[in-house]
Amino acid sequence: MPVISADLVHVEPSLSCDELQRRLLSGQTLLAESSDHLLEVVGVLESYGEVLDAYSLNLIYQAEHQFLNPVPVFKYLDGDLSPAKIWRHLNHDRINFEYAEYCQKAMFWHGTGGLDAYLDGEAFAANCQAIIAAKRRRDPLLALLNPLFPGFLPELIRSAATTHALGQFWRVMSDLFLDLARAERSGQVSTIAHVVDFIKDGLVAAAANPITYGVTIAGQHHWVLPPEAGLTFLVDVAVPYVEAVFLRGMPFLGTVSFNAQAQQISPDQAQFAYGALYADPLPSMGAGIPPSLLLQDMYRHLPEPLHQWYRQRTRGEGDVRVKICMSFQKSMFCVTNAAINGTMPHPLSTTDPQQQAANAAYALAWAGRLAAGRTDCLAA
Amino acid sequence: MLLSSLLLIPFVGSLVVLLWPGGPSPQRLRLVTILILVAQLLVSLGAIALFDPTAPGMQLQELHAWVPGIGLDYALGIDGLSLPLVLINAALTLVSAVITRDIDKRPRIYFAMLLLISGAVNGAFLAENLLLFFLFYELELIPLWLLISVWGGANRAYAATKFLIFTAVSGMLILGAFLGLSLLTGTVDFSLTPVLSDRLTIGGQLLLLIPLLIGFGIKIPLVPLHNWLPDAHTQASTPLSVLLAGVLLKLGTYGLLRFGLQLFPEAWARIAPALAIWAAFSVLYGSLAAIGQTDMKRMVAFSSVGHMGYVLLAAAAGTPVALLGAVFQMVSHGLISALLFLLVGIVYRKTGTRDLQVLHGLLNPEKGLPLTGSLMIVAVMASAGLPGMAGFISEFLVFRGSIGVFPLATLLSMVGSGLTAVYFLLLVNRAFFGRLAITPPSGDAQVDGRLDVRLSPVALRETLPAIALAAGVVLLGLWPASLGHLSEAATTAMGLTIGGVA
Repeated sequence: MPVISADLVHVEPSLSCDELQRRLLSGQTLLAESSDHLLEVVGVLESYGEVLDAYSLNLIYQAEHQFLNPVPVFKYLDGDLSPAKIWRHLNHDRINFEYAEYCQKAMFWHGTGGLDAYLDGEAFAANCQAIIAAKRRRDPLLALLNPLFPGFLPELIRSAATTHALGQFWRVMSDLFLDLARAERSGQVSTIAHVVDFIKDGLVAAAANPITYGVTIAGQHHWVLPPEAGLTFLVDVAVPYVEAVFLRGMPFLGTVSFNAQAQQISPDQAQFAYGALYADPLPSMGAGIPPSLLLQDMYRHLPEPLHQWYRQRTRGEGDVRVKICMSFQKSMFCVTNAAINGTMPHPLSTTDPQQQAANAAYALAWAGRLAAGRTDCLAA
Repeated sequence: MLLSSLLLIPFVGSLVVLLWPGGPSPQRLRLVTILILVAQLLVSLGAIALFDPTAPGMQLQELHAWVPGIGLDYALGIDGLSLPLVLINAALTLVSAVITRDIDKRPRIYFAMLLLISGAVNGAFLAENLLLFFLFYELELIPLWLLISVWGGANRAYAATKFLIFTAVSGMLILGAFLGLSLLTGTVDFSLTPVLSDRLTIGGQLLLLIPLLIGFGIKIPLVPLHNWLPDAHTQASTPLSVLLAGVLLKLGTYGLLRFGLQLFPEAWARIAPALAIWAAFSVLYGSLAAIGQTDMKRMVAFSSVGHMGYVLLAAAAGTPVALLGAVFQMVSHGLISALLFLLVGIVYRKTGTRDLQVLHGLLNPEKGLPLTGSLMIVAVMASAGLPGMAGFISEFLVFRGSIGVFPLATLLSMVGSGLTAVYFLLLVNRAFFGRLAITPPSGDAQVDGRLDVRLSPVALRETLPAIALAAGVVLLGLWPASLGHLSEAATTAMGLTIGGVA
């Protein structure tokens, strides 16, 4: 039988802005309910949770123990310098912490939310000067660099602050996703709606968690992000993270080249739409595409039922990372769904027309952004 | 007897396949054919062991009078020109049988025809008698016509008929020239003795050489006699394209060297400048036409037209280096074009299309055809003459040997070599880079960016023949002495013959 090209190409319908808004306002999940979706989302979030655990530990280690280290050669080893660990690292039997750094860079570069505002404030600048003064007394290289490039060390400290904040954010998310998998196994979570609610509850519970960060130099503790800055989990880290990694991202897609001079990339960063919700799963494992590293990490921690499910589809093990990416995109829509539900200005059950209008406007703003994303993955 | 066994194995094998008792499955017939072809390859390799590479003339000769009245002798021999071609025939027929899968109609006849072609091609390369050569040359036509017209693509009847008409005319011209030789010299000597002015006037020699040139020019093919080839390739199945490009076209270039240059050295020297221009024209036309193609297979077919022009250029120059280059070019083109057709065949089998305006991103590591794409890059690099691969050494020898004799034609041919990089980079860029796609673009980038292409994977066993050919291409590029050692004495002697009369 001759192969007909069109038979090999599948396309799912994308959702319109109106449909997305309707789903958000009606309390319906963005991702269609199905047992396959549940298996994919819970399974992939479990492996993501395992990976985030490692990312979180490493980011916090880097921010605390590799602070202003000009040559952080061992930054991925979490302080374990045993030959076995170094060998495993060189042999690439390890987590790709580079992906975590990529996310940190995305957050740092897009710089939205309260954390970024604080990093540009005077209080932070004063903390920086105190830290640099303490540090340069013991580090001749930094003592030389600081007067030559006065903006350099504060920028490194800003970067370290974002690194630590992201580590704290992922600490919560890792535990939440692993709890979700346990809840699904125990039968507490059996639908996509349950998944979204579970994540929403987790986010809401952690919403007011303080985000703080301090370093110890020569036995003396210095605050980088002090408690009095009032930074909290949800609005100052989670929301900027979603903005930077889920929505905006960076225009390096792997199979498409942009001509920035011809303004194929918007000069306004706020208009960027290259994040996880817009990503094309196809370029996985191509050179230089950071999400590939995440997929590789998740592949190492894939729960067996989901792995088995992947094996039974299309190319089995051959295109497993593309399948993980597709499932990951579905689960990220669930997380976004939970975040939107959790930050809705008023309860969805409100009967007050003004509150309803406020909710509708909020849902519309989100639906407008999501409509350009890969909503085709939401179909059953 | 060794050379006779190179005919007996495929011919008897063909009968065995045809008369195999019961109703054997296509898989069993394929296995039997593969075993027969492995035996043929082993005997061909055995010929290397018995072959004395330092001796320029025919070796391992066998001579039996067959029909003395018409000058037809069963005369076989092998030299540094024919040995590489016999080897490549054995190797590529084996590859063709290995890559034949899912044969749905008349497998018995299919495999018998494949063996018949291989035997006939061996016969043509080994024949030391003009009429015997002609018999074998004609013998491969009918099986080839059958293979295109029965197992070809949708438009196979047209392509097969066109092929038959063109090659029948080619056969008639060659036979006419051979018989004309007898008529003009008044003898029935059809041996490979050079025809010089003491036997035949230069006018008479030219009168015989020109139909030979046209006859073999059709087979090679040279522009403007190439018209049958792109259609034949487009409609032929992948195994047949491998055989057609890798082996059967070489009958034309072999005939040109053996029965043009070697048989009529004086007349050859006289018209060599025109042949060089013809070669350059053929190279440039083939390359430019390839640039304009959107069907991958037609592009590779036109590249064959261009690349076979190098052999004519080398033959026209007639220096020992150029002639060695001609042998290299025949072998390397055999390997490279076989590899290219094989890979295009894999792409077509998996995607259902060869259209370069449709195919994109096939190098995608998980959903595309990454190994096929990587091998395609090796093949196009070799075809474009990148150092370290077979294409470089053959083109270098051809150009080095020809530039002193025909500088303009050589320079023009070198432009053609550069154009090879142009059209093959177009092919690789369109079909293998970018986002994976196997259907025409819709015009909406967002819609196209969301297509989930579900190609079936290429099994390693499907790629193994291509890996073997690619290894051959690299091996020949890195170790050219392996082939040069076999052919140098023969091509040097041939070059001295033409040099002596020029």
